[in-house]
Amino acid sequence: MPSTFRTLEREEAFRNPSNKKFGTPELQEVVKPHLESFDSLTKFGNGDTGLLDLAVKDIGHKTVFDGVGEDGLGNKITYWIEGISIAKPAVNVRDTTSLHREIYPSECRERLITYKGRLQATINWRFNDGPVNTELKDLGQVPLMIKSNKCHLYGLYSKGLVERHEESEEMGGYFIVNGIEKIIRLLIVPRRNHVVAIIRNSFQNRGPTYSPYGCSIRCTRPDQTSLTNTVHYLTDGNAMIRFAWRKQEYMIPAIMILKALIDTSDKEIFDALCQGDTKNTFLTDRIELLLRSFKVYNLYTRESCLRYLGDKFRVVMDVAEDMTDVQVGEELLRKAVLVHLKEGRDKFNLLVFMIRKLYSLVSGECCEDNPDSPQHQEVLLGGHLYGMILKEKLFDWLSSIKAQIRTDIRLKSSKVDFMNNKYFTGVMTKVPSDVGGKLSYFLATGNLVSNTGLDLQQATGYTIVAEKLNFYRYISHFRCIHRGAFFAELKTTTVRKLLPEAWGFLCPVHTPDGSPCGLLNHLAHKCKVVNEPLDVSMMPRLLASLGVSQPVLHTINRPDYVCVQLDGKIVGWCSIKSALKVSQSLRFWKVTGQHNVPADLEIGYVPTSHGGQYPGLYLFSTPARMMRPVKYLANGNTDMIGSFEQVYMDIACLQDEVIPGISTHIEFTPTNVLSIVANMTPFSDFNQSPRNMYQCQMGKQTMGTPSTALNHRTDNKMYRLQSGQTPVVRPDLHNLYGFDGFPNGTNAIVAVISYTGYDMEDAMILNKSVHERGFGYGTVYKAEVVDLSDLRVTGEPIMHHFGLAGGVNKKIREKLDEDGLPFIGVQLKAGDPLCAYVDETTGQTIIKKYKGPEDGLVDEVRLIGDDASSTELQKVHIKLRITRSPIIGDKFSSRHGQKGVCSQKWPAVDMPFTESGMQPDVIINPHAFPSRMTIGMFVESLAGKAGALHGIAQDSTPFKFNEQNTAADYFGEQLLAAGYNYHGNEAMYSGITGEELKMDIYIGVVYYQRLRHMVSDKYQVRTTGPVHNLTMQPVKGRKRAGGIRFGEMERDSLLAHGVSFLLQDRLMNCSDYSQAHVCRLCGSLVSPISTKVASSVSSRRNVECRVCNTSKGIDVVAIPYVFRYLTTELMSMGIKLTLGVKP
Amino acid sequence: MENAYGTLSGPNITIRELQKDKISFILSDTDLSVANSLRRVMIAEVPTIAIDMVEIETNTTVLADEFIAHRLGMIPIESTDVERIKYTRDCTCSQYCSECSVELTLHVKCTDDRTRDVTSRELISSNPQFQPVLTDKNDSGILIVKLRKGHELSIKCIAKKGVAKEHAKWSPVSGVAFEYDPYNKLRHTHYWIEEDEKKEWPLSKNAALEAPPDPNAPFDYNAKPDRFYFSSETVGSLQPEEVVSMAMKTLLDKLAYVQMQLKEEVDMKKQDHTSWGY
Repeated sequence: MPSTFRTLEREEAFRNPSNKKFGTPELQEVVKPHLESFDSLTKFGNGDTGLLDLAVKDIGHKTVFDGVGEDGLGNKITYWIEGISIAKPAVNVRDTTSLHREIYPSECRERLITYKGRLQATINWRFNDGPVNTELKDLGQVPLMIKSNKCHLYGLYSKGLVERHEESEEMGGYFIVNGIEKIIRLLIVPRRNHVVAIIRNSFQNRGPTYSPYGCSIRCTRPDQTSLTNTVHYLTDGNAMIRFAWRKQEYMIPAIMILKALIDTSDKEIFDALCQGDTKNTFLTDRIELLLRSFKVYNLYTRESCLRYLGDKFRVVMDVAEDMTDVQVGEELLRKAVLVHLKEGRDKFNLLVFMIRKLYSLVSGECCEDNPDSPQHQEVLLGGHLYGMILKEKLFDWLSSIKAQIRTDIRLKSSKVDFMNNKYFTGVMTKVPSDVGGKLSYFLATGNLVSNTGLDLQQATGYTIVAEKLNFYRYISHFRCIHRGAFFAELKTTTVRKLLPEAWGFLCPVHTPDGSPCGLLNHLAHKCKVVNEPLDVSMMPRLLASLGVSQPVLHTINRPDYVCVQLDGKIVGWCSIKSALKVSQSLRFWKVTGQHNVPADLEIGYVPTSHGGQYPGLYLFSTPARMMRPVKYLANGNTDMIGSFEQVYMDIACLQDEVIPGISTHIEFTPTNVLSIVANMTPFSDFNQSPRNMYQCQMGKQTMGTPSTALNHRTDNKMYRLQSGQTPVVRPDLHNLYGFDGFPNGTNAIVAVISYTGYDMEDAMILNKSVHERGFGYGTVYKAEVVDLSDLRVTGEPIMHHFGLAGGVNKKIREKLDEDGLPFIGVQLKAGDPLCAYVDETTGQTIIKKYKGPEDGLVDEVRLIGDDASSTELQKVHIKLRITRSPIIGDKFSSRHGQKGVCSQKWPAVDMPFTESGMQPDVIINPHAFPSRMTIGMFVESLAGKAGALHGIAQDSTPFKFNEQNTAADYFGEQLLAAGYNYHGNEAMYSGITGEELKMDIYIGVVYYQRLRHMVSDKYQVRTTGPVHNLTMQPVKGRKRAGGIRFGEMERDSLLAHGVSFLLQDRLMNCSDYSQAHVCRLCGSLVSPISTKVASSVSSRRNVECRVCNTSKGIDVVAIPYVFRYLTTELMSMGIKLTLGVKP
Repeated sequence: MENAYGTLSGPNITIRELQKDKISFILSDTDLSVANSLRRVMIAEVPTIAIDMVEIETNTTVLADEFIAHRLGMIPIESTDVERIKYTRDCTCSQYCSECSVELTLHVKCTDDRTRDVTSRELISSNPQFQPVLTDKNDSGILIVKLRKGHELSIKCIAKKGVAKEHAKWSPVSGVAFEYDPYNKLRHTHYWIEEDEKKEWPLSKNAALEAPPDPNAPFDYNAKPDRFYFSSETVGSLQPEEVVSMAMKTLLDKLAYVQMQLKEEVDMKKQDHTSWGY
């Protein structure tokens, strides 16, 4: 257990940041899924190729014909992207003065621009079959991930980072778009290349005879784009394959695909599907039906099937006109059917497997797979999504070139000259090619604009802002993983359930309560996402050596054999017994590193069962899988296990749970299942579980230390706690993740006592002296951006210049300097000048006023130039500092979901005190505990007190104590040794009378967080103020100085109390009280009008009824103004409203 | 001399320990209310000098103006001669003057490549009697801010007389320990125990100064607390014995003020009576 605060060590690290390592290397692991996935775009695996190269290869060639000539098609031009490159961020080429051409992230943050690099594509084209022409084409600038291999910060350590104005432990993993840090959120998607059996009622809507049964597989191409194939079961026993192409769904009979994939016979198909299980009449009946029903198509050979498919899909596939139907059919199979496999034979085998699994689902031999279980899920990584979008945009660009050429041909075919290279380059310049801008848009808004849908279920919400409110929040952004926006609208709550399969991968505690509960999860802190492609070339050989039969024998006629798959490719069959043996051997080799079995290989052995999951041995080596380390009992080594295999493994949590002969693995520590933030809750195992959830939320709302490079940040709003401390009581991981660099609260002396009554209902009393000494003192930084280029008319010269012209009064000059910008440190009240500029056309000085209701102090003024540094100053960024000393109504919380509001700042002399003269900083009420059961807070108080007395840091890692060795005893002994009561109680005296209090009081040290919810942002009060001009009633809204609605239910309660005067006060006098003339004779409210008395002496007005033509019956009555409005509205509809006026 | 109202000999004080910044004493033969009054006055009503206003001329340091001002306020200032300074509210001047305030200036600029610490030692007082507290000659003072090359801090501080009732910075003590009846003979409190009181509740140090109670003795429900164990640590602005004596003086002044008011009231009443012809 650590007992030191490592103060000197940390000070040294801060003074002399290292050039060779990070102070907290563990922190760099946090963003790995983001960073590695982005790096894989340009470098995937060992070679020099990246995902982008694979994507470009997959896009292939485009062909256009000009229609000139006899054969109808005419000349052909073929073009394709040969290669693609992304440059590191650099200064605009128009800039000629810069010596250093690199742009660093901090500059982008401060200048509110995007951190981006130039995207270039080598485009090749050839005329007919002539020589290949090449051109390098600029495709705009794409946003780049910080600290990726395309970032200037790549490979830098603390010292280098600090020199470039970054945090010393900067992790990267985000993008900077318009100065804002954005993260592509991790998303849960179905596990790739694995067949899942699904029963879903909506399948019946696909067409007549469609049943709820289906088998689905999300196939992933090497470039990480994916396509889902589903085999549907029809009630007549038939099977149909469904896939979506450009958001359009297509269904094809399974047999047609089987026959088109390879040259095969009905017998071969029957044998493959039956696997010798001829006694299973359910199966044989259906296979027979499958084959029989296909006879209606009259397609007998592979070629005829391909031709049939090609004919139907020619338009859909948008292929070159000179391709034959057979070629189009092959193209369809290549691009839309089981795209993770290359060979037709492999596709055939897998499709057969899918049909077999489907039939066994229908017959009840196996159960459906749960798509909500992490077993069948993987992660959509930011970099992969980025690559997918980039690929599609490149594809679209090529398509738009094709469209442009076609338009040219249609309009003026004489100008179209494929021979002339200038024509093609001309087309390229005509076609919009800003691919980079599209990616910037995606990152800025999170909206996916896509023709294909990218096999994803949502179009929005892909990116989030990485708020640096405090370090907990910041870190959680990188670890959060969303189920998908689609599921947020589902009425059923099954998707939100915490499943046992999630153990160790998703944190059971760290999820928000409310609408995103269970959908927005966080990765457990030891959970990793695999990103490197694994070398599995040795697997077939190893499997064969273990007795797995080869897939060339796809009819083995052994119904008891199960399938062995590697990444969705059938690599053999074996009996279930030997499958177990194979999996055990592979695991042993994997852990011991023998036979080059990669450590991240997932060995999912599914045993046979009665109506359980479909058995088999499923091996996974692909990226984007969640993996976590556990200890392999056989040799004590680390075994990385995946979410698929974990379900059928025997992993003990604690040592005493190990069952000899059964358990194969053990957890390294039980805290591995918690997320980073959940791990920070001290003694969380003592708390009632919802409280730990609340703490995870509140920890992220705490006013803390957002950054250590504050003067290089331009966030819109930043909260800072000035007097942050390291907690006395903290878990081991606190150091591991370097949270001492970003303190989040203050150690407070907390007494649990009902004193003065100001601590009722979760209120807390703050010691006035403690407040005066700076407890919880915070600052809010707000940014104001003034951009004069918004005023500029495009094409006109600059007409607005920052500065003061003559004739500006003295008061303004007190705040603003001659350059029109405020002095640093000057205090601005609402209405004070923020900055000033001169309008050249009028010569007038225009003062921009500070609007905020609170006084702000000018902290920094940042002058922002343009990219080429060629124009005069047009944009300034002014950072204002708003002091937020704690006041009554501000929210505080301990680390146990125990939030409270400061109710009083109580004078220190009146506070209770202990024999040693210690006064509490904070008083909370004992009633906060019985119902909430946050025993962890008591233990923290105890540990904190003992730690403070002995000067040691206390370890608060959960699950360290048990019934034999209790925390209360451990810390009780420490307290006793310091001369204090064993249980943390102390006799206390009333500060007012000096008398000893009747009971001893529980007092100790608890780490308190100040939450960002402060009354200054929330109070709403009004006496009189703006009114709505139609109804004359008070307006609503805090910003507009409006009121809070006194609604129907409030009215009802006043009625029930019989307090009619108060009712009138609220609804009439304080609302829209008005006086109106009414005619007693006709009872009308609208007919009285004022007429001028024809007299030169007085200008007195006379009110007269227009209906009765007399002023005799005019009276003045008090009515709500809306009533008058109602009357006129009714009148406009021809309804008369009559008032009976009686004295 | 004992009777039902305690001893008539009046309060006694015994100093047990006296150090530069610490005092322990026993106040005996007096009532709880008197003892508590002394405690309260020691904490909150003994006047000292502390920086109250800061005029910032230049501040290019990493800390914000208001934050430096707050730090300056917390620096203890030698206040032994605090009686010579008036409260600003009692002074005839319009804002502040040398009679009701002390001016301290600080001007530091870092020209070195090394980090420069600005401490309370660099505050130059206009009045030599009121200097920032230093424990000894080697004391480097209290750190205010750290400067890097090019940073400059130039400020003028106005220190004023005040009491901790208004702001904690004027408190002469960091805490006052106060205890009576260490054996709980009076049963004012109830010790909560799990198994064994002796094991779970270690006796306080003050228990050694009293005779342990006879477990068989009957409970004396008439007994009142009359021995109060004080212990206090100062922040340095005043000597510990000064704090105690000034606290007593403050108490006396308060009583004197009440006495004066009483006299005035009586005189007024008497005048009223005479005017009515009695």
